[in-house]
Amino acid sequence: MADIRLRNLTKRWGDFVGVDDQSLDVKDQEFLVLLGPSGCGKTTTMRMIAGLEEPTSGEIWIGDRMVNDDLPKDRDVAMVFQNYGLYPHMTIFDNIAYPLKVRGVAKSEIAPRVEKAAEQVELTEFLHRKPKAMSGGQRQRVALARAIVRTPQVFLMDEPLSNLDAKLRVTMRAELKHLSRALKITTVYVTHDQIEAMTLADRVAVMKNGVIQQLGTPDEIYNDPSNLFVAGFIGSPAMNLIDGSVREGMFVTTGGTRLVPVDTPDRGRAVLGVRADDMRIDEKGAGAIDVRIYAFENTGESTMLTVQWGRQRVIARGDRHLRKEQDDEVSITLDTAHLYLFDPETGNRIRS
Amino acid sequence: MTGKQKKRLWGALHTALILFAIFVMLVPIAWIFLAAFKSHVDVYQLKLFFTPTLENFATVFDDPYRLGEKLVNSTVVALVTVLIAIPIATLAAYSFSRFHLRGETVMLVIILATQFVPAVVIILPFFVMFRDVGLLDTRLGLILVNLAIVMPFAIWMIKGFVDGIPMETEEAAMVDGSSRVQVIRNIVLPMAAPGLLTAGIFCFIIAWNEFLFALILTNKDAVTLPIGLALFKGEEGDLWNLLSAAGIIIMAPMFVLALLIRKYFVQGMTMGAVR
Amino acid sequence: MRDNTLKYLLVLPAVVVVFATAIWPLAEAFRLSFTVGRLNRPGSLDQYLGWENYAWAFFEEPAFWNSVWVTALYTVLTVALTTILALGLALLLAPGGRLRSGAQTLLILPFAMSPALIGVSFRFMFNPEFGLFDAFFGTVFPPLANVSWLADPTLAFAVVVMADVWGWIPFLTLVLIGGLASVPRDTIEAAQVDGASGWRVFRDVTLPQLGPVLAVVVILKSIFSLKTFDQVYMLTNGGPGTATQTLSHYIYFNGMKYGQIGYSASVAWLMVIPMIFLTYAYAKFVFRKG
Repeated sequence: MADIRLRNLTKRWGDFVGVDDQSLDVKDQEFLVLLGPSGCGKTTTMRMIAGLEEPTSGEIWIGDRMVNDDLPKDRDVAMVFQNYGLYPHMTIFDNIAYPLKVRGVAKSEIAPRVEKAAEQVELTEFLHRKPKAMSGGQRQRVALARAIVRTPQVFLMDEPLSNLDAKLRVTMRAELKHLSRALKITTVYVTHDQIEAMTLADRVAVMKNGVIQQLGTPDEIYNDPSNLFVAGFIGSPAMNLIDGSVREGMFVTTGGTRLVPVDTPDRGRAVLGVRADDMRIDEKGAGAIDVRIYAFENTGESTMLTVQWGRQRVIARGDRHLRKEQDDEVSITLDTAHLYLFDPETGNRIRS
Repeated sequence: MTGKQKKRLWGALHTALILFAIFVMLVPIAWIFLAAFKSHVDVYQLKLFFTPTLENFATVFDDPYRLGEKLVNSTVVALVTVLIAIPIATLAAYSFSRFHLRGETVMLVIILATQFVPAVVIILPFFVMFRDVGLLDTRLGLILVNLAIVMPFAIWMIKGFVDGIPMETEEAAMVDGSSRVQVIRNIVLPMAAPGLLTAGIFCFIIAWNEFLFALILTNKDAVTLPIGLALFKGEEGDLWNLLSAAGIIIMAPMFVLALLIRKYFVQGMTMGAVR
Repeated sequence: MRDNTLKYLLVLPAVVVVFATAIWPLAEAFRLSFTVGRLNRPGSLDQYLGWENYAWAFFEEPAFWNSVWVTALYTVLTVALTTILALGLALLLAPGGRLRSGAQTLLILPFAMSPALIGVSFRFMFNPEFGLFDAFFGTVFPPLANVSWLADPTLAFAVVVMADVWGWIPFLTLVLIGGLASVPRDTIEAAQVDGASGWRVFRDVTLPQLGPVLAVVVILKSIFSLKTFDQVYMLTNGGPGTATQTLSHYIYFNGMKYGQIGYSASVAWLMVIPMIFLTYAYAKFVFRKG
């Protein structure tokens, strides 16, 4: 039984604040992803949970214990490092066995547990090899095996997939998800890759500059972003963010184009967010606004049209059979059910 | 005791041990430093507080010790050795770094190995030869033998620096029309200058502190500072106040030089085995 | 001029210098070791007697074996003590911080003291009447209070070892600090999370990865210890008697004081033998990066 509770956690180095008074609850057996760009504080937060970094202030609870004063080895957590942290001078077997050996597990018990863990990551034939004779993907699985051999209270994973090539990443993602569900262990996972976050997480905490911008399920993060940062960070291609104002119930771009009706009171400045998928493309004249194509891209599985209003460019996603050329004119209609308005000053979402 | 309390205790012990180590490392130096300022009465007692005097520094330069002459000898020998060694070493280092020569591994190993040969092995033939040729007790003779010690360090250190200079600039210059020699002169030398200076200082320190060769090959005229130390024997034993003053004169320039090149220290001494 | 010729020309001066100043003397010393070689007997430098010098050293000269023993014991003790203490100091300084950079700068200073100076300094410190260390040890270990360190064979040996260790700790510490820094932090943190206590992390993870650097350190220090002369000369001059007469000192004594160049040369060449092995081992580390 292990939930994790962070209370007013802060980490400061001199003047630089890495994590700024953050509180977070991770439920037992939940897979929580800390997502954000470099330097946002996600890794620092996780290292504080592990005990590798000491908080400047705040409390960390694992299960019923406040673990602030506990050394990493006493916290019953297991960690998978970005560069795997394998012991280069030991065989794979010894690497995986190390957590057991060091905790005084009986020799007779070690071998079967190591073999079971190796089986779960499909490494049984490699147990006698050394890390330098293994590929990146294999080393990653060794690191995983070393983490699961112990059945700890908490798994911590620090960007474990970022050193793998793209194809491998996709397969390992599925394996990770399967394992964590099968083993039913609370997991905190750090990444800057939003696709990993969306596919693996039960809940995502999006972080920037040491502050959690939004905590929610992948669905909430994607379809109900609470501020500009989250809106722009999640989704590929990124959500279109258009500057303008609200006048007489319509959103008007800074260039003067009246785009779409919105259900909020008039305001001087606002940012409209709309995803590429929520913009319908029709022949000229058939939709809401006519516009010239700035660039046309065909990715194979869909097409991307970049169009320009005034000085702002947005991307609309079209059907993969659509064929257009630069400078052709088309008609764009925004889906009013999936629009988001933001206050440019605070970045927060304006809700009607 | 909680983990945190244990950590604090370790932290305090840690700092205490570091301070203790620093203290032990510095005590002999500090003590000699103090002794150099003690009068010839004070130095024979275990005193921490005394009235300092600069007399010793004056005495050592006077007769019969004439440390000034030894100082000149040391400076000349070390300087000339470096001035000869560095250019020769640079040319060789460039070649080893940029080209593949037949037998280069053998050459490099031999150069490395000469560093490990004890000086006593080399000194005997040198003594005989110098005696026959009339080079005993001359600065020229000392320079020649110091070259033996200094060359391997110089070649390895400079090679290390040249290795670190990317080849693109030279290649671009050659495509533009420079000859290899021009490239060395106009491009590599300026870029390697800090490295050459560092290697030069390193070799200067080695030559300055060189003891055995100077002991055996000099007598009166070409005596260097370290051997000069042996002069300070009085009737009842060593004249420690004078010895200390002389010691400081030997050490002080080396402190300064060592601090200047401290970044490259390890690299130089281990000849590249540890970076 | 073409590169192919130039490259050999560039190395030529250096090769000539090394040859003239190191190779030739080595060869000449080898030749001399087979001669009668008395400095005060002209012509004896070309009088050959085969392996007699070597045989004399090996079978009939206890002073030779004494210096072999002194040198061997000295080397083992100084290498072990310096390495262990330097490793300890490096571990203390490794975590970093202001204390560490300050300490690292200070550690350079003892290097400015040449071995000869260290010898002089320690002779001063262990003087029975006004030596600082003599007084210190005398107060801490009362039985040692009235002892004259440099007059007792065992104690003098101890002082010589101490002086050497003191002199080399700074350098070895700097090397090991670099070595510790090159151990990937990941592996250490992984062990900490896996459950290893500080000592176990060091023993199971840090030390094995420090292997190559430690090997370099031990080999290098062994070579330096075997060569020791300056310090011994200034501290004890081989005494009392021959209690601290290392091989280098023995060679110097026989060659210069007694004028037996031929014999000294043979002992000198015997000394070269362990050097060959050590150099070979060291070269492997120097060239493995290349």
